[in-house]
Amino acid sequence: MKKYIVKRLFLLVPTLLGITFITYLMIRLAPGDYTKLQLGMEGALKSGSISKEILEQEKKLYGLDKPIVVGYAEWLWKFARLDFGTSRKDGRPVAQRIADALPITLTLNIITMIIIYIISIPMGIISAVKKGSLYDRFSSLLLFVLYSLPHFWIALLLLLYLGSGEYLNLFPLGGIHSDWAGGAGPLVRFLDFCWHLVLPVITLTYAEFAFLARYTRANMLEVINQQYIMTARAKGLSEKKVVFVHAFRNSLIPLVTLMATLLPGLLGGTVIVESIFSIPGIGMLSFEAILSRDIPVIMAITTIAAVLTLLGILLADLMYSLVDPRIRLEAKL
Amino acid sequence: MRRGYWSGVWREFRKNRLAVAGLGVVLALIAVAVLAPLLANNRPYCYVTEGKVYFPIFYDYQELRDKDLRKDEFRGFKIFPPVRYSYSEYDLNSIVTGPGRRHLLGTDEQGRDLLARMIHGSRVSIFIGFIAVSIYVAIGIFIGSIAGYYGGWIDIVISRFIEIVMCFPTFFLILTILALWGPSLLSVMVVIGITSWTGIARIVRGEFLKLRETDFVVASRAVGARDLWIILRHILPNALAPVLVSATFGIASTILIESSLSFLGFGVQPPTPSWGDILSQSRDFMDFAWWLTFIPGFAIFITITAYNLVGEGLQEAIDPKSPGR
Repeated sequence: MKKYIVKRLFLLVPTLLGITFITYLMIRLAPGDYTKLQLGMEGALKSGSISKEILEQEKKLYGLDKPIVVGYAEWLWKFARLDFGTSRKDGRPVAQRIADALPITLTLNIITMIIIYIISIPMGIISAVKKGSLYDRFSSLLLFVLYSLPHFWIALLLLLYLGSGEYLNLFPLGGIHSDWAGGAGPLVRFLDFCWHLVLPVITLTYAEFAFLARYTRANMLEVINQQYIMTARAKGLSEKKVVFVHAFRNSLIPLVTLMATLLPGLLGGTVIVESIFSIPGIGMLSFEAILSRDIPVIMAITTIAAVLTLLGILLADLMYSLVDPRIRLEAKL
Repeated sequence: MRRGYWSGVWREFRKNRLAVAGLGVVLALIAVAVLAPLLANNRPYCYVTEGKVYFPIFYDYQELRDKDLRKDEFRGFKIFPPVRYSYSEYDLNSIVTGPGRRHLLGTDEQGRDLLARMIHGSRVSIFIGFIAVSIYVAIGIFIGSIAGYYGGWIDIVISRFIEIVMCFPTFFLILTILALWGPSLLSVMVVIGITSWTGIARIVRGEFLKLRETDFVVASRAVGARDLWIILRHILPNALAPVLVSATFGIASTILIESSLSFLGFGVQPPTPSWGDILSQSRDFMDFAWWLTFIPGFAIFITITAYNLVGEGLQEAIDPKSPGR
C-alpha cells in the first residue's frame, strides 16, 4: 500500500508539469503579439498609460521575452508561491480575488454534491432491486429526461417562473445576500444565504443526480448478478441484508471514484449557473475574466482547476485502493 | 462476417422502440438542417408570371432582386416554402409577437420569424455535433490504437498525456481558448474536437489491449502482416462498436456544449442563428415572451434526448447484457 501511494505521488510530478506546461503554452501560442492581444480587450484598461505598465508587468510574469522553457520555469516558480500577478480589472492580486471567490463555489459544490448522493443512491438502488417494475421504468425515463435537460435553460425557466415577479415571487433573482440582511443576526443571514442558493443548487443538482442515479442502478445490477450474491441468498440471508450488506457495499466502489470525475464537470457547470444567478464565485470570476480578457485571472483559474482535478483523481484512486483489496494487491497502474 | 455482426446489432436495436423513435428524430433533424434554406425562405420555389418561369429560391434573378414576391402585387403562380420567412428578415411592425397564424412560433425583438430562425439554427447544432465529434473520434482512435497496439513505454507516455488532458475542466478550457483565439464556428468545432478525445482514446486503447493478444491477430502477425495492416484490417473493425456508442453520446454532449457556448456569447457569431444564441437573446424579454425562452431550449432538449436514446439503444444492441449506462 505504501509503495503504491509513493508510486502514485511520483507519477503525479510529470502530470503536474504537463498540465502547467499546456496552460503556459496557451498563452505563448495565442495568435498575435501579446501586447496586441491586449489592445483588443474591453474594460477599464483601455486608457493608455496604466495599461502599458500593467502589460509590461504581465509580460514579465509570463516571461514572454525569454525562451519558452526559461519563461515556463520562471512562471511555474512564481505560480508555486501563489504569485499569480494582478487582476486587470481592479488591480488586486489574483490570488486575493480567487481566495474571495473560491469558498462560495466550494460551498455551492459541496451542498450540491451531498444532495446528489443523498437522492441518487437510494433511487438507483431501489430501481436496481425492483428492476423492470413500474417504479423502475418510470424513474428510468424521468432520469433520462432530466439528464438531457440543458441547465442554462432550466436556470432561465426557474428564474422566470419562481424568481421574477411575473409568476411566483418565491426566490431572489440572484446574488447571495439580500441588501436588508446586512445588519441582521448570523442566523438570519445564514437563512438568507440558503434562500439565495435554492435555485442555483436545483440547477446544478438535477442533471448530475440523474447521471449518478443511473450509474448506481447500473452498478447495482452488475453486482446483483454476481455469484456471491446468489450464495448470500442461498444461505438464507434476508433480502435486506443481501441488498445492503453484500450488494450495496460492492457497488459503492465505482461511486467513490466518480466523485473525482464529477468535480470538474461541476466546475464547468458553475460558470453558467453562477453567471445566470450572479453568484460571485469562481465561475462568475472566470466568466468575467474571459469577457474582459483578464489574462492573469484566466491563467490562474485554469491551472488551479486542473491541479485540483488531478488531486481529486489521485484521492479517488487512493480511496479506491482502500475500499477494494483487489486493486491493492495488484498495485499495478 | 462483419456484415453479419452489424445486421445483428440493427436487429437488436430495432427492438427498442424508444431508440428507434430517437433515431427518427435525429434523421428528421438532419433533414431539416440540410434542407433549411428550402424550408424557410422568403422567396418562392417557383414563380410563373407573364409566360415566364422563375425559380427565385435557386437563382438570383436580376429583375426580381429586392422584390418581395409574397406581396399580392406580384400576380401569377407561386409556390412558397412551408415557412415564408428567412432567418435574418426583420419586420419592425411585428416585434415580439406571440405564436399565431402569421408567425407560427412568434417573432423576436427585431420581428424575425422564430420558426425560420429555429430551422436555420438547427444547422449549427447538427453540423457542429458531427464535425467536432468526427475530429475527436479520429484523434482518439489514432492515439488510442497506437497506445494499445504497441504497449510498453509508448503506452505509458500516451496514458500520462491522456491523464493530463483529462484533468483540464473541458468546458473552461474551451472558454479560455475561445477568449484568446476569438470565437467563430470553426474555432468552436476545433476546440471541442481537440479537448474531448480522451474518452475515445481510452476506449480504443482498452479494446486494442484486449484484441492484440487474440488468435487472429497473432496469426496475422505470424504470416508477416505489417502493423498498419493488422491495426486497420483486423483490430480496428472489432473495436469500433464501443466507439460508435461513445460518439453518439458525444454528439449529444457536443450539442449541449455548443449551445452553452452560444448562450454565453462565445459561440457562433450573429447574424448566423443558433439555438443557444436565440435562448440567450431571450433573456431580456423573458418575463413576457415565453416562446423565445421555451422553444429554443425545448429544441436543444429534444435533440439531446434523441441522441442519448440512440446511444443507449446502440449500447444495449451491442452488449445486450449491459444494464443501461
